[in-house]
Amino acid sequence: MSVSALSRAPSSRRVLLIALSTLLIALVLGMEQLAPLFRALFPDQDPAMYQRESFLNLTLAHLALVLVSSLISVSVGVAAGLFVTRPAGREFEPLVSTLAAIGQTFPPAAVLAIVVPVAGFGFVPTLVALVLYGLLPVVQNTVAGLGTVPAQTLEAARGNGMSAWQILWRIELPLAMRVIIAGVRVSVIINIGTATIGSTVGAKTLGTPIIAGLVGNNLPYVIQGAVLVGLLAIVTDLAFERLEQRFSFGASGAAS
Amino acid sequence: MIELQGLTKRYGDTRVVDDISLTVEQGEFCVLIGPSGCGKSTTLKMINRLIAHSEGKILVGGDDITTLPPERLRRRIGYAIQSIGLFPHWRVADNIATVPRLLKWPSSRIAARVDELLALFQLDADGLHDKYPHQLSGGQAQRVGVARALAADPDVLLMDEPFGAVDPLTRDTLQAELARVHRQTGKTIVFVTHDMDEALRLASRVALLNAGQLVQYDRPAELLVAPANDFVRDFIGRADLGLKLLSRRRVEEYCRPAQRTRNNAIASAPITWQVDADDRPMALLGGRLGESDIARTVVNPEWIATPEMSMKEALSRMVWFRVTALPVLDNEGRLLGEVTMSGVMGHRS
Repeated sequence: MSVSALSRAPSSRRVLLIALSTLLIALVLGMEQLAPLFRALFPDQDPAMYQRESFLNLTLAHLALVLVSSLISVSVGVAAGLFVTRPAGREFEPLVSTLAAIGQTFPPAAVLAIVVPVAGFGFVPTLVALVLYGLLPVVQNTVAGLGTVPAQTLEAARGNGMSAWQILWRIELPLAMRVIIAGVRVSVIINIGTATIGSTVGAKTLGTPIIAGLVGNNLPYVIQGAVLVGLLAIVTDLAFERLEQRFSFGASGAAS
Repeated sequence: MIELQGLTKRYGDTRVVDDISLTVEQGEFCVLIGPSGCGKSTTLKMINRLIAHSEGKILVGGDDITTLPPERLRRRIGYAIQSIGLFPHWRVADNIATVPRLLKWPSSRIAARVDELLALFQLDADGLHDKYPHQLSGGQAQRVGVARALAADPDVLLMDEPFGAVDPLTRDTLQAELARVHRQTGKTIVFVTHDMDEALRLASRVALLNAGQLVQYDRPAELLVAPANDFVRDFIGRADLGLKLLSRRRVEEYCRPAQRTRNNAIASAPITWQVDADDRPMALLGGRLGESDIARTVVNPEWIATPEMSMKEALSRMVWFRVTALPVLDNEGRLLGEVTMSGVMGHRS
């Protein structure tokens, strides 16, 4: 990674990332401090502040769900992408792409409806839905990223005596990393939003106050949950943007 | 030393390389040339097993290449392709260190070898060591590619149209540099090109291929004066055959003793050189086109010849300056002899 690749990142994006992260942490820890504000805005609502669970606990539970589901999506997705781009697995490419696409066309709510009778309520069915939902962008971008490695670069690697493993680890993966991370970024962002639906089947997430607000006709609850989920998604997106830039080489990096 | 014995490559029923046998001796610069699709690149890639051969045998340094694991074989053989083959995410130094790292050399030895190669290719200035390939000019990237191929000091170097993607001026410089590196290192080089001038300039032996078959394998001069058939004659290009031949010849082969005089007097010979006390030529007496024999032409530093100069260049200077002879000078500027227009015609190889 070149030093210039870092300095190319516009510093305003960095300031934005730091500012929004600070805001997110402040809100997670100190949402209760805003109780007077919500009471003033919604005088008819009582209570105007979600208090059944601390926002810190909800956020941590939400993050745990996203983290575990993303780890599974990424490991399975990258592995599948690698498999279908190797000589042995090439014929499975259409099959794997179709399966991943089906996973995403299924609405997460429908997945929950199918999994709940099998796995019960709570964390597990939500996890299954998120994993299926997050798989496609990872598989797609892994295949696409490996496809961007120039044939001549691969020939040079082979001609210089690298083994298939060495070519994969030293050449293909580093060069495909920017595109793969872009896929992971999409997958994680989708899952941060989609995880809120897990609260309909009893998983503890930032969707819990939203669902409670919708059921109990309490707008402040909905706002408190939605603001945190939205901020979390934006902060994560900005962080991934910086990570991607670390892996731009050559023309694509110079252009950014 | 590389030996191809009855080498054949079949794709289905098509024989893209058909029963080629040739030997590249130690230190030889062998150029594989031919029209596109003649199998020259395929032949090259079979030597380091990037392509598996169908029939025949390839020996590198006496070993049948199929007896070695392909990776081990390739680490023993340098391989250079067009500049795009550099690894874009590695710095220049890392690119050059590719094979030494695969061979697990100690890092101090790798660093020393990288510096040595950067110096050999005149890349040691401007902090190029830490630059990335996209920050290099085409010529620099190409030098790095060749340096990488030489990094582990292989006896054999394979080059697949390495200068195909650079502009003509840079290509000229790179060719001169490669010729120098070949002289300095004594590597055995197999080089693929479709450019006859490049082949004649670099090769000690040329293998001309057509439709997968070896048409002629000879020294460049033999190819020019004794082409095996009309295909060879056509491929070389009939029009400037004479000039191509002269581009392979050096002035010293044509240099003849010069007639000298210390004063302005006209000597008996039609071309006489007026020299100073140190034997440096000052003027040419006679030998000027379209003027009388007594014309005196002051020697111009532009129209002299040196023993290493190609006869093509010497002839070009004669034509340009409208003289029928050039003085041949040694390093100190002393008169060694002369090359003349009639001498160019008279010399038979």
